[in-house]
Amino acid sequence: MIMEELDLLKKDWQKNAAFEQVSEGEIYKMLHMKSSSIVKWIFIISILEILLWTMISVFFNTDDYLKNTKYEELNVYFEGLTVLNYAVILVFIYLFYKNYVSISTTVSTKQLMKDILKSRKTVQCYVWYNLGMVVLSLIIGFLIAFTSNPEVMVLRDKIASDGKIMVITIGILILTIAVFLSLFWLFYKLLYGILLKRLYRNYNELKKIDL
Amino acid sequence: MSDSLEQSFVKQLKTNQNIIHKICRLYTNGEDAHKDLFQEITIQLWKAFPKFRGDSKFSTWAYRVALNTAITLYRKSSRAIKTVDYENHQFFIGQEDYNYEEEERLKLMYKAVYQLNDIEKALVFMYLEDKDYAEISETLGITEVNARVKMNRIKGKLKKILNP
Repeated sequence: MIMEELDLLKKDWQKNAAFEQVSEGEIYKMLHMKSSSIVKWIFIISILEILLWTMISVFFNTDDYLKNTKYEELNVYFEGLTVLNYAVILVFIYLFYKNYVSISTTVSTKQLMKDILKSRKTVQCYVWYNLGMVVLSLIIGFLIAFTSNPEVMVLRDKIASDGKIMVITIGILILTIAVFLSLFWLFYKLLYGILLKRLYRNYNELKKIDL
Repeated sequence: MSDSLEQSFVKQLKTNQNIIHKICRLYTNGEDAHKDLFQEITIQLWKAFPKFRGDSKFSTWAYRVALNTAITLYRKSSRAIKTVDYENHQFFIGQEDYNYEEEERLKLMYKAVYQLNDIEKALVFMYLEDKDYAEISETLGITEVNARVKMNRIKGKLKKILNP
């Protein structure tokens, strides 16, 4: 009895071929899916990141601090720097988007490998730019403090008269920069490092196939 | 030159895609799961493609990799598909030979097959594909004797499910 049922099943099984057929283009897409989803995440995270920084800067407004200083016109420079920074970051986000589009539409492995390397480079540039910006804004911040903040002015006079205090102060400043730099480095390492690693793994897989 | 490897893979996969579709049909329930498994099998086949030397047929090789992928994934998602919506499954019975009684029997059979475990499904799949025990044993990496024993056990199990 069971044989009859199995034969019936077999007949039905072999009769059907009505599966929705997948096209060659769709197969190519499947092969490259992993990389394109990673690059998509890089794009999304970069947008979230800029939102995060914008929110933080809204909460910790530097304008009030600068108003207390002697030179209010420094405010303009600071704002200029902020605008420039946003412009550069927006360019990076645009590049991330472009990388995502090109990776998700690529049909050849060779081109995909090139695109992966390009995406990696874009992210690395982005991280280096941000780290550089952290150092630069810290240095500018210190300079403003030392030249215009009345409270720090007292310290400046002491430094001028005592070499020891000067060495200690410079040491503290360098240490502060180093701490901030490593904190941000860690932040970016966590944010993009994992994705970059996966992207590179995909690249190596592709390289193995593409001999 | 390097792109031709990919091209040849995509072409062969396209012509042999029904193998994968059929495996998806047996191991998944619903369109989305079907597509997911299809994609996963495609990726695994592509990864294994450099090792495929063409000394066996593409389809034979594809059976092996695809079934292994399905079995592995099935095990990972230990929530085995128990509540299979077999009612919604299409049975591709041609209009001209539509037979209500036969359709009911088929439904029961599909329902029974869905209750088998991953390995048993693989065996039934090979059986439905009309493969002999030599090919079944080679594809699944078990001995021919073992394949026969398992198949007999499956028949018994199906019988029990059909007539509890």
